[in-house]
Parts: sequence; C-alpha cells; structure tokens
Amino acid sequence: MSADTNTPSTPKNSGQPGRRFRIEGQTILLLTVLIVLVIFFGSLQNKFLTSRSITSMGFQLPEIGLLTLAMMITILTGGINLSVNATSNLAAVVAGLFLVKVMPPDLAPGAVNLYLVAALAIALIVGIVNGIINGFMIGYIGVPPILATLATMTFFTGISTGLTGGATVTGFPEGLSIVGGKDLFKIPIPFIIFVALTAATYLLLNHTTFGFKTRMLGSNPIASNFSGINNKSITMKVYMFSGLLSSVTGILIMSRTMSAAYEYGTTTYVLLTILIAVLAGVIPGFGSVIDIFFAVLILQVLSTGSTMLLAGIRGSSFFKDFAWGVLLIIIFIINYFIRIRKQQE
Amino acid sequence: MTDILPGTDPVSQAALKDEILRAEHISKRFGGVVALNDVSLSIYKGEICCLVGENGSGKSTMIKIISGVYTPDEGDITVNGRQYKKLTPITSIHEGIQVIYQDFSLFPNLTVAENIAINQQLASGKQLVNWKQVEQIAREGLAKINVSLPLDAEVSTLSTADRQLIAIIKALLANARIIIMDEPTTALTQKEVAALFKVINGLKSQGMSILFVSHKLNEVIEIADRTVIFRNGKKTMDQDAKGLDAKKMEFYMTGREIDGQAITFGEVNQADAPLLKVEQLNLARGFFDVSFELKPKEVLGITGLLGSGRTELALALFGELPANSGKIYLQGKEVQIKTIQDATAHGIAYVPDDRIRQGLFLEHSIENNIVVSIIGRLVNRLGLVNSKRKASEAQRWVRQLELKTPSPELPVKSLSGGNQQRVVLAKWLASNPKILILNGPTVGVDVGSKAEIHELIRSLAQQGLGILLISDDIPELFQTCHRILLMRAGRIVEEYKRQDITEQALNAELVAAAPVRADASASTHVSAQP
Amino acid sequence: MLKKIIRSNEFVIFLILVFLSLAIGLVNPAFFSISTLFDTLRASIVFLIMAYGLLPIIIAGGIDISFVAIAAVTSYATHMFLIGRGYQGSILLYYTIACVLGVLMGLLNGVLVTRFKLQVFDVSLAAFTMWYGFNLFFVGATANYEIPQSAVGYYNQFIIRTRDPFVGETGLHVSILYVIVIGLVIAWLLKYTTIGRGVFAIGGNREVALRSGFNITRITLITFAVMGLLSAVAGVTQAFLSRNFNPVIFITQPLDVLAAIILGGAAITGGSGSILGTTLGVLVIQLINRALILTGIPVEWQRFVVGLILILFTSIPALRAMRARRVGHTTELVEGE
Repeated sequence: MSADTNTPSTPKNSGQPGRRFRIEGQTILLLTVLIVLVIFFGSLQNKFLTSRSITSMGFQLPEIGLLTLAMMITILTGGINLSVNATSNLAAVVAGLFLVKVMPPDLAPGAVNLYLVAALAIALIVGIVNGIINGFMIGYIGVPPILATLATMTFFTGISTGLTGGATVTGFPEGLSIVGGKDLFKIPIPFIIFVALTAATYLLLNHTTFGFKTRMLGSNPIASNFSGINNKSITMKVYMFSGLLSSVTGILIMSRTMSAAYEYGTTTYVLLTILIAVLAGVIPGFGSVIDIFFAVLILQVLSTGSTMLLAGIRGSSFFKDFAWGVLLIIIFIINYFIRIRKQQE
Repeated sequence: MTDILPGTDPVSQAALKDEILRAEHISKRFGGVVALNDVSLSIYKGEICCLVGENGSGKSTMIKIISGVYTPDEGDITVNGRQYKKLTPITSIHEGIQVIYQDFSLFPNLTVAENIAINQQLASGKQLVNWKQVEQIAREGLAKINVSLPLDAEVSTLSTADRQLIAIIKALLANARIIIMDEPTTALTQKEVAALFKVINGLKSQGMSILFVSHKLNEVIEIADRTVIFRNGKKTMDQDAKGLDAKKMEFYMTGREIDGQAITFGEVNQADAPLLKVEQLNLARGFFDVSFELKPKEVLGITGLLGSGRTELALALFGELPANSGKIYLQGKEVQIKTIQDATAHGIAYVPDDRIRQGLFLEHSIENNIVVSIIGRLVNRLGLVNSKRKASEAQRWVRQLELKTPSPELPVKSLSGGNQQRVVLAKWLASNPKILILNGPTVGVDVGSKAEIHELIRSLAQQGLGILLISDDIPELFQTCHRILLMRAGRIVEEYKRQDITEQALNAELVAAAPVRADASASTHVSAQP
Repeated sequence: MLKKIIRSNEFVIFLILVFLSLAIGLVNPAFFSISTLFDTLRASIVFLIMAYGLLPIIIAGGIDISFVAIAAVTSYATHMFLIGRGYQGSILLYYTIACVLGVLMGLLNGVLVTRFKLQVFDVSLAAFTMWYGFNLFFVGATANYEIPQSAVGYYNQFIIRTRDPFVGETGLHVSILYVIVIGLVIAWLLKYTTIGRGVFAIGGNREVALRSGFNITRITLITFAVMGLLSAVAGVTQAFLSRNFNPVIFITQPLDVLAAIILGGAAITGGSGSILGTTLGVLVIQLINRALILTGIPVEWQRFVVGLILILFTSIPALRAMRARRVGHTTELVEGE
C-alpha cells in the first residue's frame, strides 16, 4: 500500500476545461506528423501546395470529418455509433425523395428555395430521429452500443433501400449545389460548415455541463449515475447530436454529388471514422475535438498527396488506404514508447 | 533499529516453536520514500500471526517481499532453513508461501472445479486437459477444508465467501506451508467471517501457518496467536496476542490514543419536526413495511448483515431502486422519489459502499470528482462552465475536508483510501444536502482516517444535517449514531438508543440467525416493529 | 442437467431457429425442402469458417475486424500470383499458399498486440485498411474469373446430390466437410487443451491468467494465427464456390460475422462463447436472409426486415436484464430454498 499511495502520478487528463489551450502530447504528435507530411508532399510535388489542390481538399475533408465527430462523441461516452453512415444516407434519401416526389414541378425560384430549405430541415430531422432510436435502445433499454447501432445500421440502410427501390435518387434543383459545391471568399462552403460545427462541438464538449457530464459518464457510468447525472438523458442527447452531425454529412454529400443513394460509403466509411478517432487518441471519457481535426487533416493530406504522387499508376487512389493503415500502426508504436518513457519518469 | 517491546523475545520463541520463515532487517525504498525500515518478521509453524497496520504502514510491501514480488534493498530472508538475499515469486511458491489477494485471483467465467484445479494443470505442463482429473482434484480440495460447493457452477454466480474458500483451497493444493491472507474479511458478513475463522483454525490445527493481514482490530483479537504491528515502515509491536486489547493496538498503530470516551455527540431536539419520515415502504425482494423517522442533527444507524435489505433501503431513498409502495415525507411533505434526480432535487445525497465502482471517476481529477454533482451551478450567464469557480469550489472542499494532495488536478486514483472517501463526501457536501445517506463510510479506510471521518460525520450532524448511516461495523455505529435500527430479512426488527445497549449486545443481535421465510412477499401485511 | 441445457444460450438460439423455420414454412411450404437446406448451408460455409477463426479472439476479450481483409488478400494474391504463371493444377496449392500467408498476417496483428500492448480492435482497424489498400494497389483492383483447369468442377462437387423441381440438380457441397472438421477441431482445442482453457482464462480475468502462469503472449499469438489461417481457408473457398476472385471480397461484412457470434451467445467483453452457439448464430442470420426471399416480401424491403429483427433480437435480452435490475437482492429471504 505504501508503494501505491506514494507513487507520484502525473495527470493524463489535461485537456479539460480550466486548462484552456494547454497542448497535449497527442496534439503535438499529430501536428508533427501533419507538418512532416505537408513538407514531404510539398517538396516532391509542386502541385501539392497550390490553392487548387488545397481547395479540393477543403471540399473533400468535411464529409468524413463531420462523420468522425459524430462517431467521436459516442466513443467519449464509452459507446460507438456504427449507424453514422446509414443515417447520413437515409437523411439524404428522404430529403432527396421529398424534392423529387413531393415538390411540384415548374415552381417559381423563390418557391423552389423554400422547398430546398424544407428538404434540408427534413434531412436534419431524420438524423435526430435516428439518434433518438439509438439513444433509446442504448440509454433506456440498455442494449450494448455496438449491437444496437449494428442493428440500426442495417435497419436505416433497409429503409433507404426500400424507399429508393435500390436506385439512386437524382434530379434535384440546381440551388441545392450551393451547400456542398460552392465557396465563400474562396473558402469552400462545406469547409466553413465543418469548421463551424467542429468549433461548436468543441464548445459543447469542453465548456458546457453537457460536455462535462458526457466525459464523466464515459469514464465510469455507474459512478456518474450515483453522482446524480441522468445517464439516460445524456446518452440520448449524445446519440441525437451524433445523428444530427451524420445528417449534415448526408446533406453535404447529396449537394456535392447532386444525388442520394442508400449505398454511399458503406461500412468502410464507418470504419474509417473509427480509425480517425483512434488516431486522435479518443477513449471513453477522454478525447479532444482539436485532435480529431488534425487527424482528419492528416488523412486528407496523405490521401491527396499520395494520389498526386502516384498519378498515372494503376489503382493509385487505393494507395492511401494502405498508407493510412501503416501510419496508424506507426503512431501506435510511437505512443507506446512515449507511454513507456513517461512511466520511467 | 527495531523497537520490539520488552516482554517479547523472538529468539526464545524460536526455541519453543519451529520457525518457518524469518525476514531479518528488511529495508525497502521507493524513490525517496522509505516503505520499510529495518524490519524483522518471523512466522512459526502452526500459528496464526496477525499483521496489523494502517494504510501505508508497510504491510503490503512486506507481503510482496515475502512472496518475491519485490526485492528488498537490505536484509535477507530465511525460509525452511534456506537463506535468500531475495526471493522470486517462483521460489517463494516452491518454499510453500501462498498469498490470497483481496480479488482471490479467480476466473469468474470458469467453473469451481476448473478454478481449483487450474494451477495443477499448469504446473504439470500437460497440454491436454483431463476433465475427470480436474473434478477429482476439486473434490480432494474441498475435502481438505471440509466444505461442499457445486463443482460445475460458474464462479461468477458464487458469493464472496465461497470464492474465498476456493482461493484457500487453491493455496492448500499448492502445498502451502504459510498462507498469507490480505484483508480477507473486507467483503464478508459477520456470519461468513465466523465460518472463515473456523476454517482458519482448522488449518492451524493441521500445522499450517497463517499470516493474517488486517486492520479490523476486533477480528485480530479474536483470531490471533501473535500480533505484529507496523507503523510508518517500522515494527512497533510483536508479541503474544493474549491480553492485548484494541486500545493498546490502536496506540501502536497510530502512535496516539484514540479515546472512545471523549466523543461529544450533538443534541437532537426531540421537539423538532422530522426531516425524513418513511411509512410502510416496500420493495420487491428488498424490504418490507419499513417505517422510521429522522430528525435534524440526528445520526440514525441502520445495521444488519449483508443481504438484510439495508443497502436496498438506501437505494430506494436515493431513487436508484424506487420503492414499490409506501410513503416518504420530507420536512412534513410527501414526496415521490422515482429517480436519483428526484432524490438529489430534494436534497438527499448518497455515499455508496463500493467507492471505486460507484463513487469515483478514478482517471479524472479530484476537482472533476468534487464538482460532478454541482456542475450545473457553476455556469456563467452564457450557460458555459466557469472554470475559475469550478477550481475554487474544489479548492474550498480540499481545504475544508483536509484532503492530502499536492493539487486538485491530480487524478483521484493517486489518493489513499481515506482521502478518496473524502472526495466522495466532498462531492455530496458541495451540493448542500439536507439528508446524507452513508453506506459503509469507512470500509477500507485506515484507523487514523476512520476516526477523522467519524468526527466529520458528528460535526456535519451538528450543523443540522440528518444522517442515515448504514454499517455493520459496531464500534462505528457507537462512535457516531444517536439511534440504531436493526434490519433482518428485509424488515426493521428493533430500534435501540445508543445509551441503552452495549456493543457486545448489539453484536449478538446482529449475528443472530435470520428468520427463514418460505414466502416473504405474502407476509407483507404483518407490521414491523417501528 | 436438463435444466442447464434449457437455460443455456445455445438452446435459446436453437429455439429461435426452429421457430423461424416453422413460421417461414407456414407462409411458404416450399421452404421445407432439401434444396433450401442445402442452399442455406452453402451460403453459410465461408461465414462459419471465418466465425470459427474469430471466436477464440472474442473469447479472449478482443474484437477483430481485419479477418475479412486477410481472407481477401490471401485468396486474391495467391490467385493472381499462380494464374500469372499459368498455373492449372490442383486447388490444394491455393489453400497451402493462402494459409501460409494468412498465418503470417494473423501473426503480424498478434505481434503488434502483444509487443506494443495495443488494443486488438485498434490494430485490426489498421490492418483492415492496410490490407485492403495493399490488395487494391499492389495486387490488382478488378475481379478475376479465370479458374485453373483442374479446379473448374470444384464449385459443384457435391457429397449428396438431389433433384429439385424448381432449381434442377443441386446438392450439398463438399466444403461443408471442412466446416465440420474445423468446427470440431476448434471446439476440441477450446475445451480439451491447456491453451484453449487459457483463452477462456484470459477473457475471464487477464491479470489473474498472467499471475497463474498462463503464457499470454503465446496464447494470443496462437489465436491470431488460427484467425489468419481460417480466414485464408474461407477466402479461397469463397472464391472457388462463387468462381471469381474479388480483391474487396467481404469488405462490408466484418460486423455481420461479429454480430452472428454475439447472437450465438459469446459475450462482447470476452470470457464466453462456443462453437455450437456460433454455428447457430450464423445459421439464424443466413436463414433469415434465405427465408425473406420465400416470404414474398419485396427484395428492396428485405434489409429493412432484417434490421427490424436485429433490433428485436438485441433489445429483448436487454429488456429482460433491465427488469431484473429493478428488484432488491435481500439474500436472507431465499435462504433455505
């Protein structure tokens, strides 16, 4: 006992409110990797650091970034949300069908815009409803998150498949493309949305009582219950927020591709979001939105960079998947040695 | 320097009895901290030696040195006549030293038989499992201490006491000559403790040596042949247990006298309206027809064996297991308590018995742990958490409860048991409750901290709180409570004023056999004694 | 003994299986035919093999999703290598090369987990991405339909043949024998070897397993080698049954296999699980897929129904557990019972 009580321990949980802007080990590591990658690709490929390539990254990264945030907040509570992508697709499909089937043809431009806003609202509502279903199963019935969201993943995809009959929904009014395809002061609108929602999530998780309770719940749900935290309601809100972020992703995809399909992204997209969250070092109770942001950037830079570098080679776009896996393993190993060194100190 | 007391002479004892183990002049440092300072300890054949000391006194370090987990910086160990500079875990086991840790080292998902036989299986080096042989080994093991357990039951379905028996059998089957038991009674009911002591005494008569590590002094008095006390890494006592009383032991453990007589209890004004009144409360398979009152400034003890319904009652009042029927009045008004949020809204706070699992967020900072129940009050006008107020609130409680820590930003797991309990208390005191329910508030807390926590409970009551204290630690009840309710088989069977009963009498009532009811739910009409 | 069987997880899933069969049979009597049985079994073969490979890892407390990637890379890379050299020989060489690769890839996961103290799931996530990327970039990105001369007839090598009025001649494929042999071997390893008991011990309490003297590193490596081996067998079998080699085969299915194992009574937190339960879990899912075709539910709504059934399957046990939590545990009441 004497050894236990006297061992000096260092706080590993520094990214909390009260310690604003204190930079953690994981953040430094991710930032270093990012800088190394940018320098590497920038020096090998002079096309890499052009405004055109940066803009194209700005269009691509928000989709997976938002989906990762949707995944991350559920991991923070000790859960997981395998239905993020199914929710994103369902939101797009329902909104898309609304525009194609419900909106009368030959409307005045003003009326079309009204319908567009309604479609976006419908997509967001679908996301929240999906979140309520997940939150109810996990928080109120007590189904293990991985099983509950595995079931709802199939269920939501099933609704999309049924509604579309397996076909891709197209034929949307031109105005829809503003959200996912246009830019504002040369900054892609999707990127603006991503940054804004990342900031909002940061504020929510790090500076509100909801965020505080979410992290406490994640690190010990029994103790949080006995501390008067309403686990059920927090879980419900977390999955609702996760559903909401997923549906925004659905809107971005729908607007960029001007189509909606039940099968966009599939399971690999879900696994990719978990991969980014793991890369950012998110575990139940602890994890930082800023690290998620950097991790998404790393993946995007690696993807764009390697595709450019290997342009012309058969299957060049697949090299990134290989590189992501290798990078993740390297970061695991670096983290292992950092941990060992900390313990020795 | 070992300050062995006059009247004890280990050398002459060694001449009388077979000395199996002798650890001499052992010192061990961790970084700058001295865990053991020139301590010697002997264990003789067929004796029960009790090792007593507060948390941090060096008991655990000594166990780990004897079992080969730690290497001592100085000193050497002689086992069965062979001298070692250091033991490894394997040589220690070979020499017949077996440690039963508090978690019993069992596999919850495997059967009783397999748990008993698994070490033999591994030791034999065989790659295949002979299930007939596994069963046979298990039967032989059970016969050794003369108990019967269902061989094919999963260990996760067994009680703590039964698991302990399996751990003892495992040690015996490993040809143990010395069994070291680390705080073996922590999670046992009094009845189970009695059964365990029977087993231990049986082992002793077979020539086994037991090193019984504990800080429950009444148990030590009951079981010890010889008592050794450590304080701050030094041995302060090593003598025959005869004629040793708790007060004397406490003196050697803490270096100061804890005087049970000097306690001043606050006055409860009998004219005051009750803070809490419970009428005919029922919970399926929990408790029946429970009625009582709690006045302001009163500490009301609720005692009973594990499984008597005492914890269920607490959980019902806290909204975790809402009662099925009955009425709860707070300050004269009837209230519904269906959730924990209902309870906290009414100013009811609960300090759970399982501190680690139910009370604390070990990885999180002390600060976060303290403010978790009041975080909603620490927001600014925008609804954002005010980190300055959060920090100062935590700091205030660290000071008020004299929490020993360099910084409230350290994780709670860096604290000792007593300080961890203070964090749980601070969490609820911060919420400014009217009623505080304490379930086993000093389980796993060392004697010094224990007295301080008792003092804190008394002073909280004096400030106007109503306190329900659930405990089967009889001295604790007498140190804190004005009245004591006794629960048995889900009912309140008796009420005592502290002045009207002695510790011995209450203890006898507590362990008296519980009435066995064939159908408890059918008998809910029978009213309990208030 | 009877009571124990009735209470077991396997029995519950068995009941579900029987109930589902009866219900579907009532809607469409054509369901009760030998060909339906053979079809369901044929569709289950590769999933059973993969699930058997994954089960020990789950029992030991890990969750792996990389097994599908290993199945894809081992089968596809072996094929592209052999076919590129004009190989026309026996299928046996396919299995041999793929199995060696599979074991090595499984061991890579194992080494990372044991040497660097990493989470099984995290490593498998990296391996999943890495190996599919490897397959697509370094080996090839399109499906290949060439089959070696001597293996052309393998896809309809039946051990029992039958004639069906609707589908014509069909039968029970010979690879069902591999499934039976593999299942029995894994079940035996888990129950009757020290290593197998070690797998349960690690899943039950890792710390105690270490203290008791189990060689955790060795046991972990073995479970990963077995996973790699069986993934390779599943990958090659799948390719020959469907007569095409696909670099992204199974990429969307790791969670489905995991779900079948959990449905079969294995705890997601480790420590429990059985070959029998896993078998029943896979069969239930395959049966639902088959059955929906026969019940007349439109094809595009079938996934919806599967999702609904999964929601019920996962919610019912949780609801039961929740109700059990709402009562006390006053043990003295039941004394003497």
